Amino acid sequence: MTVGAIAFGLILGGCGGEDVEPAGGALPVTNAGEFEQLLADSESPMVVNLWASWCIPCRSEAPLLTEAHRQLGDEIRFIGVATEDSQVDAEAFVAEFSMTFENYFDRSGEVKGWIGSLGLPTTFFVAPGGEIVSTVFGVIDERRLALEIDELLRR
Amino acid sequence: MEFTLLGAALTGALGVWLGLRLPGVRSRAEALDRPWDVLVGAAAIGVFSGRLVAMITTGVNPLTNPFDVILVRGGVDTVAASIAALATLAWVFRDDLVTLDIVAPAVLLGLAGWHAGCLWTGSCLGAATGGDWGFTRAESLVARHPTELYAAFALAVLSYVSTRPRTPFVATGLALAAAGAVRAATQTIRPSITGGPMWAYVTAVALGSAVAIAARRWARRAPPVS
Repeated sequence: MTVGAIAFGLILGGCGGEDVEPAGGALPVTNAGEFEQLLADSESPMVVNLWASWCIPCRSEAPLLTEAHRQLGDEIRFIGVATEDSQVDAEAFVAEFSMTFENYFDRSGEVKGWIGSLGLPTTFFVAPGGEIVSTVFGVIDERRLALEIDELLRR
Repeated sequence: MEFTLLGAALTGALGVWLGLRLPGVRSRAEALDRPWDVLVGAAAIGVFSGRLVAMITTGVNPLTNPFDVILVRGGVDTVAASIAALATLAWVFRDDLVTLDIVAPAVLLGLAGWHAGCLWTGSCLGAATGGDWGFTRAESLVARHPTELYAAFALAVLSYVSTRPRTPFVATGLALAAAGAVRAATQTIRPSITGGPMWAYVTAVALGSAVAIAARRWARRAPPVS
């Protein structure tokens, strides 16, 4: 019975994930020059997360980033960059995880190369004006995210 | 699994291994059938279950994304993990539940090792402190509590304390309450977005205390065995 209940829950979870309609339309396309300017112009500290819909670890951290934005969005700017992806898949990813923060589209991986990401996901903690303070390569956990944000806000 | 997490897991396993050699535990543990296998197995089942629950609650379907299970860094539901590990232990020792008293100190020392594993993962630091004992990260001016090391130390001390009671089920209740209390106390100085499952820690303290108190009362009322 327990196994049946778990299986039923998993099936329900799967149905929920597939039915979500992409919201917000196409992600704004960016390139290295524009993105550098975006960071330089920001007066708020930033969390910049590079992701792709095909990246399995990115799926694991997407809910955490969404929750962090919900909790701390007034103090810190969250920026997502879908890189080396397709617009359709990236839009679906944003909708599936209800990502409410700003996301950009970097089809060729130009931004990824410029900012110094070695793979996906990568999360950068950026001071106002565009200085990269710290970088987390790979999946970021809640404790590390909270610690890095606290460091950023105390600068 | 990342090598740093593997290091933390091995530190936790070392805690279990040492826990089974604590004074007051070793002689009793030798009478058990492979306690090391049982404890490590329960921990593995706990982590797996906790990861599955974390995936489901964050909207990642394990059926369509089965390889996400290995991404322990992506999140493990500690409440589900603890319940699964405890349920495994209770199932294995179901014919003689008081055996839990023997392994309880080892479980606490294993938890202490897991927390001390922050030295591998670089996640020891917590909230900022003005105290002189604060640790400062490279390229940072903010001194912070070594939160996970506090937890490891407290759990190690309480592990030793939990070897003392001889009344059946008191050690088990004490260990459960201790684990919850240490987590609750350190949660306030742990970096967090969600605030952590404080309700679960408080429940563990209440349940563990109730078990220990009830066991003591029961032992006093029970007629002496002739």
